[in-house]
Amino acid sequence: MARSRWKKVFWSSALVVLTVGAISGAVWYVYLDRLVSSQFEGRRWTLPAHVYASPLELYAGLQLTQAEVKHELERLQYRRVERLERPGTYRQQGARIDVALRPAAFADEARPAFILSIQCGAAAIDSLRDSNGQDMPIVRLEPLMIGSIFPIHGEDRIVVTPDEVPPMLPAALKAVEDRKFDRHHGVDPEALLRALWVDMRAGQFEQGGSTLTQQLVKSYFLDPRRDVSRKAREAVMAFALESHFSKADLMNAYINEIFLGQDGDRAIHGFGLASQFYFGKPLSELDTSEIAVMVAIVRGPSYYDPRRHAKRAQARRDLVLKLMAEQHVITQPQAQAAIAKPLGVLARGAGSYYPGYLDFVRRVLRRDYREEDLTKAGLRIYTSLEPRAQEQAEQALDRELTRLDKGKYPSASLEGAVVVTTPQSGDVIAIVGGRNVAFDGFNRALDGRRPMGSLIKPFIYLTALETGRYNAATVIQDQPVQIRLTNGELWRPENFTHQTYGPVPLVHALAESLNLATVGLGMDVGLPKIAQTLQRFGLDRPAPQVPAMLLGSVEVTPLEAAQLYNGLANGGFRNPLRAVRAVISDDGKAVKAFPLQVTPVAPPEAVYAVDRMMEQVMDRGTGRPARPVLPANLVVAGKSGTSSDLRDSWFAGFSGSHVVVVWVGYDADLPTGLTGSQGALPVWARLMAGMQETSWEAPMPETLAETWIDYGTGERVEKGCSQDAVPIAVPVGTQLPVKAGCGQNALQSIVERAGEWLRDIIR
Amino acid sequence: MMMKNWSLRWMTIAAVAALLSACGALPPTSLPPASQPRPEQGPGSSQTQSRPPPQEAPIEQPRPVPKQFHLGPASLSLVSQAHKQSQSGDLGGAAATLERALRIEPNNPLLWIELGQVRLSENDGDQADSMGRKAIGLATGDAQAQSVAWRLVADSLRLRHRNSEAAEADQKAAGLAASITAR
Repeated sequence: MARSRWKKVFWSSALVVLTVGAISGAVWYVYLDRLVSSQFEGRRWTLPAHVYASPLELYAGLQLTQAEVKHELERLQYRRVERLERPGTYRQQGARIDVALRPAAFADEARPAFILSIQCGAAAIDSLRDSNGQDMPIVRLEPLMIGSIFPIHGEDRIVVTPDEVPPMLPAALKAVEDRKFDRHHGVDPEALLRALWVDMRAGQFEQGGSTLTQQLVKSYFLDPRRDVSRKAREAVMAFALESHFSKADLMNAYINEIFLGQDGDRAIHGFGLASQFYFGKPLSELDTSEIAVMVAIVRGPSYYDPRRHAKRAQARRDLVLKLMAEQHVITQPQAQAAIAKPLGVLARGAGSYYPGYLDFVRRVLRRDYREEDLTKAGLRIYTSLEPRAQEQAEQALDRELTRLDKGKYPSASLEGAVVVTTPQSGDVIAIVGGRNVAFDGFNRALDGRRPMGSLIKPFIYLTALETGRYNAATVIQDQPVQIRLTNGELWRPENFTHQTYGPVPLVHALAESLNLATVGLGMDVGLPKIAQTLQRFGLDRPAPQVPAMLLGSVEVTPLEAAQLYNGLANGGFRNPLRAVRAVISDDGKAVKAFPLQVTPVAPPEAVYAVDRMMEQVMDRGTGRPARPVLPANLVVAGKSGTSSDLRDSWFAGFSGSHVVVVWVGYDADLPTGLTGSQGALPVWARLMAGMQETSWEAPMPETLAETWIDYGTGERVEKGCSQDAVPIAVPVGTQLPVKAGCGQNALQSIVERAGEWLRDIIR
Repeated sequence: MMMKNWSLRWMTIAAVAALLSACGALPPTSLPPASQPRPEQGPGSSQTQSRPPPQEAPIEQPRPVPKQFHLGPASLSLVSQAHKQSQSGDLGGAAATLERALRIEPNNPLLWIELGQVRLSENDGDQADSMGRKAIGLATGDAQAQSVAWRLVADSLRLRHRNSEAAEADQKAAGLAASITAR
């Protein structure tokens, strides 16, 4: 009796448990199924904004040698071949280079792939032709991708469509990771049991045994914990996913989703980005060995990191290649040929990684965009960065700092920053934020705000010329100055040499950077006017109007100094400095353009006259040490700057093609022992000599005339009369005292004018 | 505000200069302070201390060397592309194309005029004006280009209802154009 009652209780309880179990199991499955299918269906890849450099424009006459053309192609990872095959390859036929250009998306148009023939001359490109032999006036190479804007600790990826994936990749993935992918329903019980057996024997989880679908689920929906309940969830979700989606969809999702490496804060997801990250080229261009490397990395992106653990990665790649051959993805000879190849992975930081520049781009964009749009909406950002100039700026700074840094302070190393712009457009083409260019940290070019020292002087002299009371030959006194400050103290500035130089013409005072003469001039012109000049040229805040301002107590960043000097180089027109040219949406529409803008901010006559004075800085004054480094006939203008106790060493100046600003100093604001001419100038000169510069040769405004004066006295002389004759530009009709015995020699003058006339025509 | 002041001032300077040079005589600008010999110059120069140094005739304006700007083949093809874009109403595209040309020939006034004309079509009188003036400066010696640039400036002024200044600019353009035919 009691027994049968217990039996009944047992069975009914069991039934309840089973029913509840079955129901909750079903509910769980339905829940997971819904979760999986809705999320997978609705999920759009979060796409960080991708940032591109300025594309190189090729045209007949461009100063580029054949070697340089090849270098540019190789920067974009074009591969040299004997016979042109697919896009991304080139071949050399004597002086001609044939390139199978890749399809390219520019800010203003998309261009299909095509074959271009570049005929190279000795120093420049002779002609460009398409495959029909038709002349092409101008062709752009595709822009180099220089980075992306991804969320903090976030995922970065380039999404690829199935037709961009070489068929060998999915085949290799199946051969190595999941042989039954095409047949199973999300789970491969045999593989799972085998893995379980291995794990039990080892006493820990060692083998995954996961199908590609399970790996996808793991990456998509689950946290990385490894336990049995998660394993069960993963299996159920994989099963659910398989019931809703085709194998092709799942494979494509896998290829775009899977984690393939870590780059600082940036998680490299998907084969599209990984291909760029490891090989610097599109996925479609990878060869057998490179595909095998990527498949090898899947198993453990950190353990098989081909940069940090090359041997381990290579062994794994070879295993992958053997498996591929076993599964008939490739032939044995193909496998052997691939095994014989090196890993071929790009060195870290080689090519396209410019954190200092990207930092500026991010800041510009954050003014206009929400973080979310930048990191998720798949925007394409086109910038002004010129990789060639950037490379040279980095090298120039590194070389010279290595030479200059004598280990003065055991705990601090000499630092520096460089900004390069193109004067007419205000494009920022290079930014170096410090000596360690790969370090994405303190950006001295943007944040290092330091006293500008004598970099301010051209703006004082410009303001003086604008009053109409001064010209380049006007003699001013370099004599002791005492100024009572508002706090009652007496300010007694001194020249760098602690000497005084008496009467000197303006051009001399600027070229030699005489402090006393400048303070006298500045006090006469008035501090408010000078402060205004700085703001007109683009300083975004009022400069403190104290007398020490005349010697550069105003603090600016190298970027701000570049903004100010760009206006001098651009004839008194201000351009807002520009790093971003256009922002294009995911679907190719222009979202925002940053068009070229110019605003006249100073009379062109005064600016021209000051620029000519700054030429003398280079030829006679503090910039002269650069002369032996620069090409002999290159006309440049510039100004050195040194702050008190030699804490900051500056040089800013320009040729016809570029404005370059260099700062050298210590982060801890320690004395460097270097003047502007000793610290920043060598960097400036090395960079200017390395880039292909054209001379500064703005046309002289019609209301000015060129004349020659004695550098010491400011008296008018004939050009050849004295060693100390320097050319200046003064308003037409200006009368100058003539140096005794150096008056006009009619014959000589005529000969000279004829010469000048000839030179102008040749120009 | 600042900009307008400056362009106004610039205009005035240029207008006065043009007027004066038309009269054929420019008064000398204010004289710089007489030069003092430097102490380290030695006895040779002490003579000049007692006697004011001789003044030479005012520095003359050199005869401007006539020249004519042309577009290189690359710029030319970009300019014709920009014209097509403008005609189809794609002003943003036209401006971007002209910027490409300007990166190749930044000192060619013809390109600044082209870009200024696109800005004018976009009703951006300020930028059209600035680019016209940039072109005038770069086109020194090329009366033809300067004349076209002054027309651009005139149009940009009219767009902003500054009609009397526009008339002056037109006059300059006409004067320059006449100087070419006279030659």
